[in-house]
Amino acid sequence: MANNPAKQNTIKGSRIFGDYLIMLAAPCFVAAWYHGSRFLSVAAVSVITALFCDFAAKAILGKTFHLRDFSNIFIGIAIALMLPAGIPLYVPVTAAAFAVLAVKIPFGGALHAPFVPAAAGFAFISICFKDLIFDYSVNSETRLLGAESLGSMLSKGKSVYISTANVFDIIAGNVAGPMGTGCGILMLACCVYLFVRRRKALLATIGFVAACAVYAAVSPRINASALTSIVLELSAGSLMFAGVFLLTDHATLPHNGINRVIYGALCGVLCMAMRGAGVFEETVCFAILLANGMRPVLDAAFRALPSVSFKRKEAAEK
Amino acid sequence: MSNNVSFKDMLVKGALIFNPVLIQLVGLCPVVAASTTLAGSAALSAALCIELTATCVIASALFKKIPRWVRVPLYLIIGLALICPVLWYIETKTLINMSLGMKIYIPLIAINSVTAVHCEQFAVKNSVKLAFFDAAAVSIGASAVMLLVGTVREIFGSGSLAGVNLDLPVIFKGMSLPFGCLILLGFMAAGLKAFINYRYGDEEETEEEAPVEDEEIIEDEIAEVEIFDEFWVEQPAEEEPAPAEKAQPQTAQEIQSSANEDIEDFFRSIGIDYYEKGDKQ
Repeated sequence: MANNPAKQNTIKGSRIFGDYLIMLAAPCFVAAWYHGSRFLSVAAVSVITALFCDFAAKAILGKTFHLRDFSNIFIGIAIALMLPAGIPLYVPVTAAAFAVLAVKIPFGGALHAPFVPAAAGFAFISICFKDLIFDYSVNSETRLLGAESLGSMLSKGKSVYISTANVFDIIAGNVAGPMGTGCGILMLACCVYLFVRRRKALLATIGFVAACAVYAAVSPRINASALTSIVLELSAGSLMFAGVFLLTDHATLPHNGINRVIYGALCGVLCMAMRGAGVFEETVCFAILLANGMRPVLDAAFRALPSVSFKRKEAAEK
Repeated sequence: MSNNVSFKDMLVKGALIFNPVLIQLVGLCPVVAASTTLAGSAALSAALCIELTATCVIASALFKKIPRWVRVPLYLIIGLALICPVLWYIETKTLINMSLGMKIYIPLIAINSVTAVHCEQFAVKNSVKLAFFDAAAVSIGASAVMLLVGTVREIFGSGSLAGVNLDLPVIFKGMSLPFGCLILLGFMAAGLKAFINYRYGDEEETEEEAPVEDEEIIEDEIAEVEIFDEFWVEQPAEEEPAPAEKAQPQTAQEIQSSANEDIEDFFRSIGIDYYEKGDKQ
């Protein structure tokens, strides 16, 4: 394979998920810091379920199971980070099993699935166990707003006066919410890492965050300034986490760079619209799944647009 | 046309190999929307069996000389004429409680695509006996799928079976929703296809092995790793991919045409002329 010039300019899929795992280390540390063994047990159960389901499915299908396929670990940890601390263990088991068995395996693996497996798993348990998924009462006594999450507060039309005293708590994730997705500072750090490793993938995140911010400013759910609305909406739930980790899934990203921005913006508009009109407090996974379904349409519709991409100098000269 | 076809052959082909719900994917709307319980699935199955069998027999006996543009509306009218009195009788003269959803979807059974397809493509071109066999086989295949789907959805989505609470520790509400049914149908279709390939498949046909995931190669990403010696480069426009030797069906019309050819080949294989002379364009 190394002698094949057509494949020299390539990387393996495990490298992509390896990058994701490196990026997930920081949110995992924060989640373990805040929630201790509770997060570790949920993450362990979720990862073991994903690995076991993948192993069992490949044994049934007669395919080879590779432990180096980091996508199972990524799916398990991503799902665990988006869950509340008091979640019963059968919920992450259900989510991981659904993500692997219903989304990843039937389409030939994580690099071929037309939908993001972790997002599908979280969406499934959001529908099946809605009351459990959005119950953030455990380990929230010392948080900024107590047991009430930002998403719940925004859905009720309640606002928070943002000052220097509480803004750091909000962007550092010291409010009730999912175990490991609330820290906006870490998400920015992950964006920097993603910029170094896969900068074209970050175009979707940029479009997503920009669309969410514009939507929050133009159509706020609370009686507050546009800046307050933007900060609260972007900090609520798993929005930033999904924008960095789930939206940049290689298999579901459009080919063209401009299409990726449009794809991210579409996902952001869908997410904010569903937050305002839907019954769920956290809608980003549903928005990602909807955008996944529209990705082929985007690729077809905007195929004629010019593309600009990063290439190394020597590669360009060849 | 050959009348020497056994019901067993028709049953295997009509209910299994060309299962209307899992293989041909026709008549999905009532299955997805209304088969949330075993009782509902049983009602849908009974309605489909009665309506499809009677319509196909009537079409085979009476409609062979009628022009095609008149026949299709007649199938729907006959179906509704059969179903609506039954529904009215159940509502007014019995104590069976039918939910609003069932009241909507049982009349839809009369005008679903299964009836139109099998009446127009088979019944009016064959004898009454073969039309009855075909309708019965298709009804059995569709009913089996509906009952299985209804059972699974009621157990996992409602935690009960035929109205009896099973006291399950976990209930998956998503299974009661249409997306749960579609996922379930997808797995059932894959299982049925695998069984058909195993039991009736061509031995010479070898399955193309999917690439091993860990060896998957992803292009155009390595150049993004190192950032210090890069610059923006206008990429040439992407070339259109060369057309394949045999184009895959893309539009709904092409897919339907391809499916019709498969059905035609099947009926020819068992000695039945699928189209009459001069009927096929």
